[in-house]
Amino acid sequence: MFISLIGIFFEKKEIIIIMKENLKKIIIGLIAGIISGLFSTGGGLILVPSFLYLLKLNPIESRATSIICILPMVITSSFFYAEANYLNWKVGIYSAIGGIVGGFIGSKMLPKIPNIILKASFTIFLLFAAIHFIR
Amino acid sequence: MDGTILIFLLTLFSGIDQHIAQGINLIFFIPTCITTILVNIKNKIINFKIAIPIIIMGIIGAIIGAKLSIKLPVNILKKSFGIFLILIAIHEIYSLKKEYINNKKTNNRNIEK
Repeated sequence: MFISLIGIFFEKKEIIIIMKENLKKIIIGLIAGIISGLFSTGGGLILVPSFLYLLKLNPIESRATSIICILPMVITSSFFYAEANYLNWKVGIYSAIGGIVGGFIGSKMLPKIPNIILKASFTIFLLFAAIHFIR
Repeated sequence: MDGTILIFLLTLFSGIDQHIAQGINLIFFIPTCITTILVNIKNKIINFKIAIPIIIMGIIGAIIGAKLSIKLPVNILKKSFGIFLILIAIHEIYSLKKEYINNKKTNNRNIEK
């Protein structure tokens, strides 16, 4: 249905050309969307490295662009979560308040910490969390 | 990144169900996301040419992912999330190694100069 919708605006050959040019972006977007919908997080973990290595953006640009890409995915999946009654607004809003304060403190601290230590501690956390979820 | 920590803490300490924790993460994410985007637009560091096709495909992907997520039983969802995290951790270790080697090279060059 989606392709036929585009077909109203473009010729078939044009669609194929657009698809070829954007194949990388289409695949990256689709995978990030599925992960984002499935786990509600992790879209950025896919988008940032793929922007860096596949589309050759610089680190600042890839981080900034990834966030604007994630927002519509998060909004879309939250509609489905709301439909299934998985949204707990009370805890969500409390966490958001804490998150804004924590984010402010974190962004102040960020420039003072060396990149390698940041990455290493993030990796250790990931492995620790992975064990918790798999167990 | 912060989403993973929030889901982890919620399921570990509050004993909240994985699905609910993910839902809380969605609510948590939207306001923080919007403020960051506004700052980024002001600083003009967003690449819209790349963002637009990714957003379109991302919405389609998110519909598929969210429908799947709701149908999946909690333990399978948790396990697949754990496996996903391990994959990301492997990538992080790989990029750390790469960065370490690059640092060494530039240090050596500086010494040579």
